[in-house]
This record gives sequence, C-alpha cells and structure tokens, in this order.
Amino acid sequence: MTGHAGGVAARPPKPGRSLVLPVGTFLFLVLTWASISEEFGIGLVSRLSTSVPIFLARGPETLAALLRPNWGFLPQTVEPMLETFRMAVIASVIGCGVALPVAFLASRVTAPNLAIFLADRGILSVVRAIPDFLYALVFVFAVGIGPLPGIAALILFNIGVVAKLQSETVDGVDVGPIEAARASGAGRLQTIRWAVLPQVLPHYVAYSLYTFELNIRASTVLGIVGAGGIGRLLFREYKFFNWSNVSVIVVELFLFVFVIELVSIILRRRLV
Amino acid sequence: MIRFENASVTYRGGVHALKDLTLEIPDGQMMVIVGLSGAGKSTLIRAINGLVPPTEGDVIVDGISVRKASAKQLRVLRSRIGMIFQTFNLVKRTSVLNNVLMGRLHTTGTVRSLLGWYKPADVEIAMQALERVDIVEKAYARASNLSGGQQQRVGIARALAQEPSILLADEPVASLDPPTSHVIMRDLQRINRELGITTVVNLHFLDLAKLYGERIIGLRAGELVYDGPGAQADEHVFRDIYGRSLSAADVMGEDAAPAVAL
Ligand SMILES: Nc1ncnc2c1ncn2[C@@H]1O[C@H](COP(=O)(O)OP(=O)(O)OP(=O)(O)O)[C@@H](O)[C@H]1O
Ligand SMILES: [Mg+2]
Repeated sequence: MTGHAGGVAARPPKPGRSLVLPVGTFLFLVLTWASISEEFGIGLVSRLSTSVPIFLARGPETLAALLRPNWGFLPQTVEPMLETFRMAVIASVIGCGVALPVAFLASRVTAPNLAIFLADRGILSVVRAIPDFLYALVFVFAVGIGPLPGIAALILFNIGVVAKLQSETVDGVDVGPIEAARASGAGRLQTIRWAVLPQVLPHYVAYSLYTFELNIRASTVLGIVGAGGIGRLLFREYKFFNWSNVSVIVVELFLFVFVIELVSIILRRRLV
Repeated sequence: MIRFENASVTYRGGVHALKDLTLEIPDGQMMVIVGLSGAGKSTLIRAINGLVPPTEGDVIVDGISVRKASAKQLRVLRSRIGMIFQTFNLVKRTSVLNNVLMGRLHTTGTVRSLLGWYKPADVEIAMQALERVDIVEKAYARASNLSGGQQQRVGIARALAQEPSILLADEPVASLDPPTSHVIMRDLQRINRELGITTVVNLHFLDLAKLYGERIIGLRAGELVYDGPGAQADEHVFRDIYGRSLSAADVMGEDAAPAVAL
C-alpha cells in the first residue's frame, strides 16, 4: 500500500467489554437462589423421595393404559377434533392475515414513520404479554362457552407471535432492492410488495404454519376453560382416569402435528 | 437537462460531501465522474434523483427543482430517471421479469401492482428492455441464479423499463471482472447513443472513464476540479484530480479492453 505517511497507525482500543463474566455471574446467582427454595432444587429432592414410590406403585398401570389406546373411543373424538381443526384454521387465516400488515408497520425498514413504528411495537408487546388461556377466560366470560371465544383468543395469540417474528425478519432484509424501487418512483405499498415481500415470504409461510401447529396444541388448554375443541373431552377423560381414552386423543394430536410439519417442510422447500 | 446551481450537500454529522457545485449536463450526453473514494461521486449522482437532496443551492432536472419538489413530484421525476447500482440491487428470490417489471410500477395502479397484475403492454416493455441487453432468455429464471454480469444487465433492463430520459449509474462495474465490465459499459454506451438517454456514470478506473466518457468531470473533496472531453483527459489531468501520482490500481488494464493510452 502507498500513501501511509508516518508509518503504522495506532491500533484502536477494543470496543466495550465482554458480557460473559457479568451475565455468567448473574445466571449463577439466580440459579442458586432458585435452588434453595422449598419447591425446587434441594426441596425437590426430598419431595421426589416420597412421590417416586407412589408413582412406581401406580405408574405401570397408568402406563399400560396409555399404551393400550381404546380405539372404540375414536368416534367420540371425531367431532371435537374437527372443531379444534376448524378453530385453528379460522384463527390462523385471520390472525396471520392481520399479522402481515401489522408486521410491516412494526419494522423500521417499512414503517411510514417513527410514531407508527413505536405504537405498533408497543401494542404488540402488550398483546404478546397476555397468555392465550387468559384471553380465552376473558372471552368465555364475555360471550359464553363454545368455540367462538377460543377462536378470538387464538387470533390475538397468532397476531402477537407472527407479527413479532415477521417484523424482525423484515428488519433484516436487503435494503438494496428497496432503494432501487424508491429510485424508480414506486410508491410505499408497491415497494413493500415487490422489493420486500419476495424476500420475506418463505419466513412468513413458515411462521404461519408454526402458529397453526401451536393452535392445534393450544386447543387442549382452551377446552379446559370452556373455549371449545378437543380439550374439553381430553380434560373429562383425564378426570375419570380413562387413560386409554386420553391416549387416543394424544395419538391423534401427535399425527396432526406431524402432518403439519410435513406440509411445512414441503412448502418451505418449494418457496425458499 | 440537468443543472446543478450552487448545489451543496452536507450530511448529518457535518460531512460536506458536495460543495457549491455548478454544472450543466445537456440532454443525450454520456458523462463520467471520477474522483478518489469519498470525493462525493455517489452524492452527486443521488442528488439528481433526490435520494440525497441538496441542502443548499438546487438541482434542476428537466425544469423541476429537486429540492422544492413535493413527494408526488419527486416520484414523477424519479420515474423518468433510471438508476443502476454497484451491487445490482435485484430482488434475488424472484424472477428476472418481476425485477424488470419494477421499472413499470410508477405507471401501475396500487391495486394492480399489489396483485402483480401488470398490463400486457407493460410486460411487453419489460421484455423489450431485456432484449436490449440481450438477456431475454433468462426472463423466467430466478435472479439469484444469474452471474454478476447478467445481474447487472437485468439491473439495466429494470432502469430501461422505466422508459427514462436520464440514466444514473453508480460504479456499475465495480463488482465485475474486466471483460464483463467492458460488456456492461458498451451496453450503456449503446443505449446512450441509440436512445439518446442522458447517462451519468461513476467510474473509478481511469482507462474506462477515458474510453467511455464523452465528457469527464473530476471531483475532489466535493469540489469540481476538472471538466472536459474524455478524449483530452490525459495522465496529467487525472493526476490533478487525484492530487497524487497514478498507480496500476487506478486502471483496469485488461487485454479484453480496446487499447487506450493513458
Ligand atoms: N449517508 C451518509 N451520512 C453521512 N456521511 C456520508 C453519507 N454518505 C456519504 N457520506 C460521506 O460523504 C462523503 C462523500 O461520500 P460519497 O459516497 O459521495 O463518495 P464517493 O466519491 O462516492 O466515494 P466512493 O468512491 O468510496 O464510493 C464521504 O466523506 C462520506 O463519508
Ligand atoms: Mg460512491
């Protein structure tokens, strides 16, 4: 190289300090504090010593029932299972549909101004802070028992999850095409549609399928609070210790999630 | 016509990237800007389409003031100015044709463009733009599957699809190898001559500048230090612009280039 008059330049100081030590110390202290309480850690050991024998006595019987699904129970599960499926489909379509524009408004790259960006981010963190079964409780209280409050709860849950993940994906897009679109005289919506959306579409599909899967699983909890779906039946059979019936539902849920995973893999391979 | 009237650009943070520049670029001219890194070449180019509006003075493009234009006027102005980038700036995950059709967004309604429902006439314009840079056979290929030179030709086609009267190119060949650089520069030259599109190009290789620049301007620290025909720019001129002696790194110097003496 030429032009470096006066020899070697001074090396810059290392920026900032490593976080490994303070964070590590903090985690260690929290773990210690958590362990010396009654229920966890040390307390847990003494508790296990009493509960394990009880479990060992009852366990084999329960396990055997779980491993012997009562297929005669299957017809009874069809209707609530379909209800769970329909709830998840409706909640995913609406929730993920709303989440897409919300995500664009919650990313600095695509938000029209700082105020909208901050407002959107704020609302989203509130929406996400409330757990889905709490939404379900509130909606059951408001509109009564049935799938409707369940769907409403799942929609809010889906908006919270998908909009957050998607807006962070939008934050990371290549801004080159955005500049090119702007330089060509394209409008804001047109720029998002053609310079941003193609970059983030595969992620969006993956997030949407993932929340659909979460919705199927959430139905077990939602049913308990009266918000429709397979959960009500599952909870009833559990209360009567009908483990062979519980097992049928668990197998069905497993197959469900498995099929969604397969579809997700196939779709992603085509889109990426 | 593009006219800089005592135009200055000061970035936030206080860098004076362009200082009191007065310059006229007549219609149909192929003008090359040279200067050291940081001299303000990109800033000058971006001032023309208002991506970096002048903070003092003004830039007048086809009678419209870049500084005073409303958001709407600026969009109309930009639609008449095609831009080509060093890193191509294509959307890699979509087809070549979709990329070129971005050049038609400015005349496409919002609903139509959201649905991707371009008018057949616009698709035809995009196809012709691809034909002009000889890459129409890749129309339905994914942009990411193209080589650098091919991607830059798609970038040119996207700009041409706007049917612009001005073409801006910010270091269009800086990411390409020498033979490909000449292909791209010849494309730009041909477009400039055949379509009469005013073309402003940043180049950092002096032999390329001399070969393709009908006119060369030199910038140093945001100021105009040279303005003259490309044919007359010799070693002394470039040494003046750079404020230092030239080295092998300042020329592309590849056999594929038609011989130029510097
Ligand atoms: N967005 C920005 N914010 C602040 N300063 C900037 C910005 N863009 C450029 N500058 C500064 O303005 C000056 C001119 O930059 P410009 O990009 O126009 O130079 P250039 O001639 O294109 O250089 P290069 O050959 O490296 O591309 C430089 O000092 C640069 O650091
Ligand atoms: Mg530059």
